[in-house]
Amino acid sequence: MITWLTARRAVRSGVIFGYIFGVSIASSAISYSRFYKTAAQRDALAAAYGSDKATSALFGPAPQLQTVAGFTVFKISMTLILVGAVWGLLTSTRLLRGEEDDGRWELLLAGQTTRRGAVVQALGGLGAGVVTLWALTGLITALTGLDSSVGIAAWPALYFALAMAATAVMFLAVGALTSQLAGTRRQAAAYAAWVLGVSYAVRLVADAGLGLHGLIWASPLGWVEELRPLTAPAPLALIPIAVFTAVLLAATVHLAGTRDVGAGIVPDRVSSRPHPQLLGGPTALAVRLVRPAVTSWWVAIAVSGLLFGLIARSAGGTISGSSVQVLSRLGSRGNDTDAVLGVCFLVLAVLVAFAGAGQITAARSEESAGRLDQLLTRPVSRSRWLGGRLLVTIGVLLASGVMAGVFAWAGAASQHAGVSLPTLAGAGVNLVPPAITIAGIGVLTLGVWPRGTSIVLYALLAWSLLVVVIGGIGATSRWVLDTSVFHQMASAPAVPPHWEADGVMAAIGVVSALIGGIAFQRRDLRGA
Amino acid sequence: MAAMAIRTEGLTKRYGDVAALDHLDLEVAPGEVVGYLGPNGAGKTTTIRLLLGLISPTEGRGEIFGLDCQRQPVEAHRRLAFVAGEANLWPSLTGAETLRLLGRVQGHVDEAYRDELVTRFDLDPAKKVRAYSKGNRQKVILIAALMTRADLLVLDEPTSGLDPLMEQAFRGSVREARDLGQTVFLSSHILSEVEALCDRVGILRQGKLVELGTLAEMRHLAALTVEATFAGAIPDLSAVPGVSSVQADGRVVRCQVRGPVAPLLKVLAGADVTELLSREPSLEELFLAQYGGGA
Repeated sequence: MITWLTARRAVRSGVIFGYIFGVSIASSAISYSRFYKTAAQRDALAAAYGSDKATSALFGPAPQLQTVAGFTVFKISMTLILVGAVWGLLTSTRLLRGEEDDGRWELLLAGQTTRRGAVVQALGGLGAGVVTLWALTGLITALTGLDSSVGIAAWPALYFALAMAATAVMFLAVGALTSQLAGTRRQAAAYAAWVLGVSYAVRLVADAGLGLHGLIWASPLGWVEELRPLTAPAPLALIPIAVFTAVLLAATVHLAGTRDVGAGIVPDRVSSRPHPQLLGGPTALAVRLVRPAVTSWWVAIAVSGLLFGLIARSAGGTISGSSVQVLSRLGSRGNDTDAVLGVCFLVLAVLVAFAGAGQITAARSEESAGRLDQLLTRPVSRSRWLGGRLLVTIGVLLASGVMAGVFAWAGAASQHAGVSLPTLAGAGVNLVPPAITIAGIGVLTLGVWPRGTSIVLYALLAWSLLVVVIGGIGATSRWVLDTSVFHQMASAPAVPPHWEADGVMAAIGVVSALIGGIAFQRRDLRGA
Repeated sequence: MAAMAIRTEGLTKRYGDVAALDHLDLEVAPGEVVGYLGPNGAGKTTTIRLLLGLISPTEGRGEIFGLDCQRQPVEAHRRLAFVAGEANLWPSLTGAETLRLLGRVQGHVDEAYRDELVTRFDLDPAKKVRAYSKGNRQKVILIAALMTRADLLVLDEPTSGLDPLMEQAFRGSVREARDLGQTVFLSSHILSEVEALCDRVGILRQGKLVELGTLAEMRHLAALTVEATFAGAIPDLSAVPGVSSVQADGRVVRCQVRGPVAPLLKVLAGADVTELLSREPSLEELFLAQYGGGA
């Protein structure tokens, strides 16, 4: 029963992420085969990236860039490894500690099972989710490999998918363990994210060409890198992955039997002195409530911006010929640092949009959890509450955009890349209108179909990203491209921001939010 | 003439074909304590959510102190405080922080009374909400409502999760509110609570208000329980007008009487009665009578 309940949700999520993984791999492989057709082009690419320390530190080593397989591994694997890890830790903390937080775990434990038995069953369900992720990724990769210009055989495709799913497995186990240690879901996810951060940092140092490559074996992400899919497969690296996972799962099951339901092994801070700030009204409360999540987004945006700035100059110096064509299709112009930053800012735009979408889903969860009743049964109008949340959202988005620009400038300036602060700050502000459009459509959904808010928001984000990535390889019609908010955004700083287009996007967001606000004003409040 | 604390006219809420509340006409005068009874799904919470403007009526309208519940919710909410049966609060805030927030949002708080309530309800305000039991979370929203000294207290199953000692503390607080002239609208499953606190009681059945009145008025509508002990021969009471449910247990006979008791007394006067007891129906019996469970 518990296995089935957990598997149902984990498999659903595994299907979505398996699809995203598969399409990302396919788009990367196909784009390479289309735009790097000659041996000379491929040699130039390998010469540019193959020995670059900054790119190696960020994305891992780049062997065999002359092949579709080698390029695909280089371009996409580190991103998928990180996404897989985040998926793993969020899925397990949600389906283990989250269920406990919501009180459903007690109902399940009232049945014919023990605490350890229940965790073993739930882990079985999580396993079904990760197998789905692997199978779908492998299937799409293998189908893509059938294309003669790609030429990846079925077994290597499945092995590549296994490598990509390996971090998901390990961080499912990390999340399962932290779910036993922490007293709340948020805390469990934070502990697991800390493990991921340290793993990434250790791997980064190992790959930075500082003569410390041996450190790669001290990082779970390093073990996955050492699997070397599609280039020089080394399945022996599966041993530390399997041992690490098994040890964590065994510890999880053991600890589940030794602690009280609802409590963590690490004592939770149940009391604190009152902190009276930001309790003056609904908008102040919104700031207080979103502060931890927004801080995480800001750290992610700042670090990403800094790293992109750091590599922009060296990457920009390598652009020529077909690379220019690829960047051009992604909306970027020129063959220098600005062009690279133009593409990098697309990634930052996605992060900023996610930060905005998170604000709207947080507002919806206030309603679905019944907490909004506490405010709206006092002298607070719906428009004041929603208006306050939107004000906070816009503030978060503006700060996110400026921060992206400023940190990218700091990274680039440290490398004497010759880009100015106002230019990159402007490029950062340019990231905000697409996020406002998405947030506005989210508010519209909140008004007319509250239970679909998350679905619509994240589907719109995924669609916009997918379209712009596929558009980057030249496989999409103009009409489809226009449906992506990221496609409408100018690739600043490679090209100047299109402030008119930005104004239109912001206006669409504001009008959508207004209509959503009117609908919210008139409808019944609805729970989950 | 002062506006009614609560007034509804044909207030109706339908979900598809199902009428959660069906043409409710209700008036609660300022200073009254009114109990609102009904089994699960009868429409109690729907009534309250309509009065609070959280949901919109399909038909009819409601007013709080003359203010339209749908058009002037903010003005209406300045005059009332609400306690929900489910205390959904922000887990990361402490009890003290929650009380501060809700007090600031409400706009007026009797701080001395708040501190007294914290002591009375034995609440540890330094604890985070996520560490509170259900009962303690319920205490937080009770204190948050009572500390405002609002003109109208709208209470929806307010004591769910409270232990008997805290239940007594709650009853004391409601009596204080009544003594200060506050109006209380109390939806509850605890009949003894309603019986102890309320001036009038309304009973809902499948979305319709089937009874509304004082307990004395309602008792007239229900049966009186009479128990007689006989020394000699036991007369046949089953044929006496108004008498029903006659049960004999040795020399003791119990029956129920609806309407005038004179015919029964006339029969008993001719018999050798050594002891005669009569008891008015409890609210529980009145309630069960409405739902076909006895009395």
